[in-house]
Amino acid sequence: MYTITFRKVVPFLVLLGLGLTACQPDLEDEVKTSAGTADFSRYIAVGNSLTAGYADGGLYLEGQQNSYPSLLAQQFRSVGGGDFVQPLFTEAQANGTGYLQLTGIDANNNPQISNVAPAAVIGTGADTRTPLYAKPANAAANQNLGVPGIRVADVTTNGYGLNNPIGFNSYFERLLNNSPASYLQYVQERVATIKPTFFSNWLGNNDVLGYASSGGTSAPLTQDGEFTIKYNQVIDALTLNDAKGIVANIPSVTNAPLFTTISTAAVIAQVNATPIPPAQATMIAGALGLPGLPAGTRFALYVRTSSTTAPVRLATATDLILLPARAVINTPSATSPFPNGIGLEIPGAPAATAALLAGAANPLSNALVLDAAEVALVNSRTTALNNIIKASADRKGLAFFDVNAFLARVAAGGIVVNGVSNNAGFISGNLFSLDGVHLTPRGYAIIANEMIKTINAKYNASVPQLNPLDYRGVKFSN
Amino acid sequence: MKLKSLLLASGVLLAGTCNAFAGGYQVTLAGIKNNGMGGVGVGLSLDQAAMFYNPGALAMVRARGVQIGGNVTLARNAFVAEGSNMQRELRNSVVTPFSLYASFGPAEGKFRAGIAVYTPFGSKLGYANGWEGRTSLTDIDLKSVFVQPTFSYAITDELSVGAGLVVLAYGAVNLQRDIALPDSYGHIELDGKAKTKLGFNAGIYYKPSDKLSIGISHRSKIDAVVDNDGDVTFSNIPASFQSRFQATKFGATLPLPATTSVGIGVTPNEKLTIGFDVNFVQWSKYRELRFDFDQPINGSTTSVSKRNYKDALTFRLGGQYQLTSGLTVRAGGSYDMTPVPDGYVTPETPDNDRVSGTVGASYAFGKFSLDLSGQFIRIQKRTETQADLMNNGTTDRVAGTYKTNIVIPGLGLNYAF
Repeated sequence: MYTITFRKVVPFLVLLGLGLTACQPDLEDEVKTSAGTADFSRYIAVGNSLTAGYADGGLYLEGQQNSYPSLLAQQFRSVGGGDFVQPLFTEAQANGTGYLQLTGIDANNNPQISNVAPAAVIGTGADTRTPLYAKPANAAANQNLGVPGIRVADVTTNGYGLNNPIGFNSYFERLLNNSPASYLQYVQERVATIKPTFFSNWLGNNDVLGYASSGGTSAPLTQDGEFTIKYNQVIDALTLNDAKGIVANIPSVTNAPLFTTISTAAVIAQVNATPIPPAQATMIAGALGLPGLPAGTRFALYVRTSSTTAPVRLATATDLILLPARAVINTPSATSPFPNGIGLEIPGAPAATAALLAGAANPLSNALVLDAAEVALVNSRTTALNNIIKASADRKGLAFFDVNAFLARVAAGGIVVNGVSNNAGFISGNLFSLDGVHLTPRGYAIIANEMIKTINAKYNASVPQLNPLDYRGVKFSN
Repeated sequence: MKLKSLLLASGVLLAGTCNAFAGGYQVTLAGIKNNGMGGVGVGLSLDQAAMFYNPGALAMVRARGVQIGGNVTLARNAFVAEGSNMQRELRNSVVTPFSLYASFGPAEGKFRAGIAVYTPFGSKLGYANGWEGRTSLTDIDLKSVFVQPTFSYAITDELSVGAGLVVLAYGAVNLQRDIALPDSYGHIELDGKAKTKLGFNAGIYYKPSDKLSIGISHRSKIDAVVDNDGDVTFSNIPASFQSRFQATKFGATLPLPATTSVGIGVTPNEKLTIGFDVNFVQWSKYRELRFDFDQPINGSTTSVSKRNYKDALTFRLGGQYQLTSGLTVRAGGSYDMTPVPDGYVTPETPDNDRVSGTVGASYAFGKFSLDLSGQFIRIQKRTETQADLMNNGTTDRVAGTYKTNIVIPGLGLNYAF
């Protein structure tokens, strides 16, 4: 009887065992990938520092390895993408051009940032000032054409990458073999050699950024006519063989931590609220030839602008103070009794008195301030150039990534990725590197994902996204 | 003896539980016989497991004895993050939970007393290393053991009532997740024991004829409370961040919701019994999962995650047929509507509507009898987009698609006095 029982039980258990092995569910629909109407077999990337993987104020191996073109190429591999050759520094040259590193946060919650020495400098150029960087061994196969610092305005300049006495771009120089070729010619040569089936083009930032990051003191803003011609020339070169591609526009610099970390309004309020010591008040009144300082006199923040009529004026909340000013504001000055950036203000005083006070103040230098008028110029230029980029992309039916709108959303509300919050804040936001303009590996990974979404929508493809949380924000552990 | 002794024997049943098996983190694996019949039991008087399904039916369970049994729950889950092509699978974890029933009373008397030990709520999942939702959850192990002294009285030959005092005798939660730091991941483990709490389970059973029986039962809500004495343990936090992760104790409350059930039993002939149950679970009490910490974690002493569960129904249908004097076979199924609204799915309960199919058998020999059951449960594919999460303010979890299958073999032994 017991035998019978177990004979009946055994098949039952076997059946259960079969059930167990068949138990693992599969999400086949979710993991399906497709190149859609695009062909990712040969990809090249055109752009500037963002494309090169520049970060923390330098170009170095880790940044190159996490460049968005490298991340895109990695994701393209599951839909027929091939190898992607980058002009990497070697392990021995891993620190590249040198870069900024975070060494700690002090008691006042201020980040301590220091320089990492370069490891790829091999000399100085014929202009006696531009460093020369070690050239990549695989330059002939290069597919990442990102050149830090390049403007669209520069793309037809011959000798831009040639070691010469007038000056040159050392990042472009290392990609060329002592050639006077312009960037456009370099792109044309790469297209002829590699015959890309897909490209990305993220040029244009420096046509605005060079001006903005110098506080409006250098690198003029590129005007519409020049930008249109040169930008279209690059696009024409890239689409010569009917390659498909994605084009990204210019994010507004006013969303970058370089310009947003210091709250001008907060600094003004803090300076205004600092009481004037009585001894100093007497001294200042004497120097101004007054019996005493009028009621309401207070310290104020002054800035130097590009205005030819009244270059020094009180700072306003709409002036953008650049991040490096953090180490300058309210520090002692060798040339003025006022600390740097500080002067006196008598609210409601006549214009003549106000001008006198401005003249006596110790304003922040022009290069540390993108004043309200310059901000307006930068914004209108960004809008105009972005219109040209969009038109150029539409002209060839290319995918268009509105990175300007995307980063504006991130700046306004942050972006949550897989349960982790990120935003456009300096250091704490995870996305921007220590130079306040270029991105961290996390930031570049998020850009890569957004590009993939754009590509998928345009070309009916299913390129898989990556997990940005596998990529770091600002590096803390040194 | 044989079949009747097996079906009606009183005793102790060691029923298995754990993992989430009836919507949310509720588990209804209280009887091996019931398991084989889609989980019906409210309108039936099969055995001592009536103490769980409907205490009112216990007085109609004639025999007395002990039952032991157990289930092994094997869950397999697949997850793909939104936009990704990487399928994540659970790290294997086999759970072998327990529960138990015993009943006493005069052979021909009108009442039965009993004691039941069962585990109506629980969940255990271990996600793949490095998965996309690692900062929501890496591991969860939720356990509860209820002890229920029960008394049931047959007012007439047709009508009986019963009630039990439900004691949350043991409750434990272990919840682990990774902490996203700017350039690395730390890890936090919350481990706590719930305070002992009381509730009730009561029911009415009515059998107007040999061919029909009706039951209704209600189990009250019990809050599982970790009273600020749970342990918080951090690991892999670099020195530069340690000052922000100093908490050592936590408190939390998890509602174990009330369940109201109605059931019908039909017995067309001596050999065939069919049951149909509907369960109504008041999941809407689960609004949020809140943790309070003794010291700030990354600047906050609380962590609140929205749940917003909705009340949910489960429909069950099952039957048994006596093939020979010793052998009875069973089959059934259930449809379990998820309490988790769109946009609120979390890795702790990657839930959706569930469909199950069950089989079972019993064999009686002498004073012993053996129950076997097998269940296959499919938690339907559930996709949650980042847009869903943003619309609901629930971006603390991960967007993607979950699908889960669960296989539960069960084994029960009965001994009749």
